[in-house]
Amino acid sequence: MNLTQKLQELIHKGVRRIGELSIRLNDSNESFILTFHTDETTAKEDNYGGLELHVGPDDARDVSTHADDGTYRFVKAQTNLRRGWVMVLRSVDELRMALDQFYPASVGLHVAAMENRLEVENLRDKLNRQTGMYRFARTISDSGAQTLVKDVCGPAHQCARKILWQIDEQTPLEDSEASRYDGLLPGVPAEVTIPLLCREACNHFVAECRRVAKEEKIG
Amino acid sequence: MSIMPKPHSALLIVGHGSTENPDSSTPYFDHADEIRSRNLFAEVHCCFWKEEPSMREVLYMIDSDEVYVVPDFISEGYFTQDVIPRELELSGSTTKVRGKTLHYCLPVGVHASMTGLILRRAKEAAPDLNPADTTLIITGHGTGLNQNSTKAIRDQVDLIAASGAGFAAVLDAYMEEQPFIAEWDKMSPSPNVIIVPFFISDGLHSFQDIPVLLGIEAEVGPAASQREVFRHNPHHLRGKTLYYTSAIGTERLLADVILDQISDFDQNYK
Repeated sequence: MNLTQKLQELIHKGVRRIGELSIRLNDSNESFILTFHTDETTAKEDNYGGLELHVGPDDARDVSTHADDGTYRFVKAQTNLRRGWVMVLRSVDELRMALDQFYPASVGLHVAAMENRLEVENLRDKLNRQTGMYRFARTISDSGAQTLVKDVCGPAHQCARKILWQIDEQTPLEDSEASRYDGLLPGVPAEVTIPLLCREACNHFVAECRRVAKEEKIG
Repeated sequence: MSIMPKPHSALLIVGHGSTENPDSSTPYFDHADEIRSRNLFAEVHCCFWKEEPSMREVLYMIDSDEVYVVPDFISEGYFTQDVIPRELELSGSTTKVRGKTLHYCLPVGVHASMTGLILRRAKEAAPDLNPADTTLIITGHGTGLNQNSTKAIRDQVDLIAASGAGFAAVLDAYMEEQPFIAEWDKMSPSPNVIIVPFFISDGLHSFQDIPVLLGIEAEVGPAASQREVFRHNPHHLRGKTLYYTSAIGTERLLADVILDQISDFDQNYK
């Protein structure tokens, strides 16, 4: 079974949420209606309640590149996706293409996790592979990295990903709201959600590690 | 060069990406869209060093067992020779990784067919100029750290000079090594100068840094997508008439060069 078929199976089993998005089948079960989750009800009205209409997955990248305030969303799990639009997708293939733009690799990562074949990359592995100006990030202390997780990650800091990695093989993340976060929006059950999985620290976190490492060096 | 459809293979376009400039990855997605529209591959994906999906994540979103990996980079260098092979766990031209067969092609910028794109871009920028009165400068980043980073540009200069295009001069110039692009007017023997940035995207370097070095702008301006007014050629500067084009990678036909690299791979290794 390929990923599109596995996505179809997930939808069939009732999955309706991924990140900040709502996935709804239209009345004739022929199309998928993708919206920001709080726009789902509006999208049920005539003419999609006046939401900005996109047909097909081609605009998914444009819709997800900037937040409402113009911020560049290079971390795609950042919870500042803009609202006010609706995307009509005419097949599971199109739905998968759209989701791959909104939340790159998330469907594949979720499926791999369900099949117990997701390989997680700990922070030290990630930092030790950085190049150029980010090479210095690897000098961050464990305690600096632990604090950074609490200061940068999790829903309190606009990230919708569930962290899977540790500092290294022997050093789990300290308990915090960020490390405990299960990738679900409040009130949304796990069985209807494709959680966004953080199998490796993102480039924003790497950049923050570099900043903290420099501060540690200066003392 | 045409390519036979590969309905059971995936194409993976690898780019650098940026955490600061949203325009940086646009060409990669444009190239992917262009190739996807031709229905040559079962699937077409992009992955990045500094954007998502990462090179370590992207295999989770690919179904096909055979994957052609094409670095959408303008030169052979540290990224294509070290970073990409390490991130994708490649050990040679063909590697089995997590059950998939990955074919590692050469970067787009080193393919001979780039010559046609450069000439096309120059012609578009200044269709009415007489080449005999015009210097063509191909400009790149340049770094003392890697000789290969400028080789692709020097090769193109040689190819265009030998092509009979008739320019008064065809030159290479760089941001950070000699000959410096900031001295474009001194190195150009003709009244007209066309400068083509040999970068994939209109990102920080080609759209923001180089215009300052050329004297088009006094200070680094906003990203291309955040500007209300695009620059207009020609610029009358330093006693010359200057035409500065978009980065070569923003040419949609670069998609053909990606396919050329795959054809070459098949000829050389399959």
